[in-house]
Amino acid sequence: MLNLTTLSLILLTVLTLATTALAWRRLLASRPVSDSLDRVIVTLTALCGLGSLTLFLYRWLIVNGEWRPLTAHVDGLLLIAALLTGLLLFLRYRSQVPGIAAFGLPILTLILAWAICASAWTFHPFRIGSVWLSLHLASIYVGTALLAVAAFSGGMYLFAERRLRRKQPATPTPRLGSLEAIERVIIRTSAAGFGLLTVGLVAGFVIYATDKNLTAMPGWWYAPKITLAVIVWCIYALVTNVRHTTLFRGRRAAWLSILGLLLLLAVWILSISFLAKTRVSQNAETAATTRLAAQASSLSGGKPQAFAEAAPCAS
Amino acid sequence: MLGINHRTAGVELRERLALAGTALDAAVDGFSRQYPGVELIILSTCNRTEFYLARPSHHPPDIQQLIAFVSEHCGTDRALMTSAVIHRENHEAAAHLFRVATGLDSMVLGEPQVLGQIKRAYEQAAARQVVGPVLHRLFQQAIASAKQVRRETGIDKGRVSVGSVAVDFAKRIFESFQDKTVLAIGAGDMAKLALRHLQALSPEKLWLVNRTPQRACNLAGLLGIEPGRGGARAWEDLDELLVEADIVLTSTAAPHPVITAERLKPLSRRRRNRPLFVIDLAVPRDVEPAVGTLTNVYLYNIDDLQQVVAQTHEDRRSQVQAADALLLDAARSCMSEVQNQDVGRLIRALRHRLHEMGQAESQRTLRRLATAHPAGADPKIQALLNEHTDRLINKILHLPMSQLDRRDADAPLAFYAAALRRLFALEEDVNHQEHQEHWEHEDSKIRRKAKTANGI
Repeated sequence: MLNLTTLSLILLTVLTLATTALAWRRLLASRPVSDSLDRVIVTLTALCGLGSLTLFLYRWLIVNGEWRPLTAHVDGLLLIAALLTGLLLFLRYRSQVPGIAAFGLPILTLILAWAICASAWTFHPFRIGSVWLSLHLASIYVGTALLAVAAFSGGMYLFAERRLRRKQPATPTPRLGSLEAIERVIIRTSAAGFGLLTVGLVAGFVIYATDKNLTAMPGWWYAPKITLAVIVWCIYALVTNVRHTTLFRGRRAAWLSILGLLLLLAVWILSISFLAKTRVSQNAETAATTRLAAQASSLSGGKPQAFAEAAPCAS
Repeated sequence: MLGINHRTAGVELRERLALAGTALDAAVDGFSRQYPGVELIILSTCNRTEFYLARPSHHPPDIQQLIAFVSEHCGTDRALMTSAVIHRENHEAAAHLFRVATGLDSMVLGEPQVLGQIKRAYEQAAARQVVGPVLHRLFQQAIASAKQVRRETGIDKGRVSVGSVAVDFAKRIFESFQDKTVLAIGAGDMAKLALRHLQALSPEKLWLVNRTPQRACNLAGLLGIEPGRGGARAWEDLDELLVEADIVLTSTAAPHPVITAERLKPLSRRRRNRPLFVIDLAVPRDVEPAVGTLTNVYLYNIDDLQQVVAQTHEDRRSQVQAADALLLDAARSCMSEVQNQDVGRLIRALRHRLHEMGQAESQRTLRRLATAHPAGADPKIQALLNEHTDRLINKILHLPMSQLDRRDADAPLAFYAAALRRLFALEEDVNHQEHQEHWEHEDSKIRRKAKTANGI
C-alpha cells in the first residue's frame, strides 16, 4: 500500500513530467508562442518546487520529527528537488536563460522518480552518528543539486550551439538564452557545486579515517567510490577553472559538466550499494527505524499508513 | 534581361558572375565590341548579376548568344549557367527591373540598398556611353517608380534587414555587448548599414579596417565613433584586431578570402578561445567556409542571413501585393512609352526616307521635264510636283500610321516596329537619329548642370 510520501511523490513526478512536456513544446515550437504558455510553465515549475519543499518539511517536522533534516535518502532527494526548482526559477529570471526549464525539468522528474523508489522500495534511514557525516551528506546533496544545474545547462549549451551552427533563425521571444549566459551558469554552478563537493569529500575522508571499521577493509582508499569521487572532483576543478583554462571553453565545458554529473551519479549508486553491503550497525539502524515508525504512528493516530511512511520497505 | 539572382543561383555561382571595377568595365567593352549599337546596363550586386539590354527585335544577341558571352567572359560553365539563368523580355523585363528597384525581388523585402546599386549601375553604363534612349527611359522611370511605391505602400517600413538578423544572432551568442569589440573589414554600403545595427548595441570598441585607409576614416566619421571607442586602423593591424574582436563583419570587394582558417587558427589561442561571431556580407566571400568549423567560431555568410530574412516575407504579403500592382502599371506604362517613342522615331525615319526618295524622284522628273519642254523649268511646276510628291507620300503613310495608334493585343507595337525596320531597312537611320537625340539630351543636361553650378 502506498504511503502519503510516495503518493505525493508520484503526483509531483506526473506534474513535473507534464511541465517538462510543455517546456519542450515551447522550446521546439516553430511559430511564436504566447506569453501565457511561459507563465503556465513557470507556475507549474514553482508548484513542483513548492510541493517538494512541503513534502520535505512534512517529513522533517512531522514524520521524522528530529532536528536533522535528512533522515533518509528520500529526504535528501526531496531537498535536491526543492533546491533545483528554486535554482531553475532564479536562473530563469536572473541570468536571462529562459530555456533552462526545458533542460532542468527532466532532471527534476528523474530525481522525483528516484525519490519514489527511495520512499517505497528502498527506504533506508541514515545512520548519522557524527557532525562529519551530517556535513558530508548536506554538502553532497546540495552540491549535487548545483552540479545537476551545471549539467543540464551544459545540455542546453550544446542544444543552443547546435541551433546556431545550423543557422536556425531566432524566435521572436528568446527561448534559450545566449551562449555566454549559459556558459556563465555552467561555470558558476560548477564552482559552487565544486566547493560543496570538496567539503563533502574532505568530510568523507575524515569519516573514513576515523572509522576503524571502514579502514579495516583492505584497499579502502582506492575503492571504486573513492576513486570515482576523486575523478569527479578533478573534472569539476577543470570546469571551474574554464575561465583560466581556455582550452576547455564552450562546448568542452558543457561536455565536462555533463560527464561530471554522470560520474557523480555513478558515485551515488556506488555509495548506496556500498551502504547496503556494509551495514555496520544493523541493530542501531533497526532501532532507529522502529523509533521513526513509532513517531509517525503516533502522529497519524496509530493507523497502519503511518508505519508504512517510515518503515523500511526493502533492505 | 538575362541574369541570375539569389533565388536561382547559390553563392558560389554568384561569386563567379559578380562583376565589379575592372571586370565590369572589361565586360562592357567586350560586349560593345561584339554587339555594337546594343544598349547595355549590368547590375551586379551580392544578390544578383543581371544584364539589361535594349535592341531591336530579332537583332543579335539572342538569349543563347548572351549566355555564351557571359559564360565565356566570367569563365563559368555554360550548362551550369543555363540551369540558373532567368530571362525576361519587353514588359516582363521592365516589370522585373521595377520590382528589383523597389526591393520586392530582394531577400530583404523592401531593402533600399538595391536602389542605390541600380542608380550606380545606370550611371556607370551612361558614362561608358552604352545607354541609349530605351534603357535611359526605363531606368529613370524604374528609379522614380520605386521611390513612389516605397512611399505609398510603406514596403520599406518594419523590414527585417541583414543587419538586424546579424544582431539577433549576435544576441544568441553574447549576453552583453558593453565589453565586446566589433571589427569591420571593408567599408561598403552593406557594412555601413550592418554596422549601424551593431553600433546600437553599444559595443566597447568598434574598429574599422580597409585597404584604403581613407575610406575607413570616412566611415568612422560617418558612424560618429567617439575617440577611445574605436576608429579606423591600418590593414597591417588586422591580425591584432582579430585577436581583440568578438564580432567581425566583412564586406570587402576582395576576389579571394581575407580570413582563412589557416590565418585564424593560430590566433585562437591568443584569443583564449573566446567565441567569435563572423558575419561575411561580401560576394565573393571574404571568409573561407572552413573558418566556420573552428571551435567557438560562428560564421554566417550573406546567404545564411538572407535566408532568415526571407522568412519574414510571408507576413508582408499584403504590402507586396499592393506594391506589385502599382509597379506593374508603372512598368506597363513605361514600356508603352518606350515603344511609342521607338515607333515614333521609326515613323519619322520612314517619313524622312520616303521624302528623300520622293525629292530625288521629283528632281529627276523635273530634269526630264526641263529637257522635254521649256515649261518644265517653271518654278510653279516644280512646286506643284514637289507638293504632289509630298501629298502622295503622306497619303500612303496615313493609313499604316493611323493603324499604329490603335492598341492591338495580337499585334503589339514591337511587332510593327520590327516589321518597319526590316521592310524599310531603317536600322541605320534610327540608330543615327536615336544617338543624335540622346546626346543632344545629355548635352542639354550637362549645360543645365553647369549653369546651376555656376549659379546662372
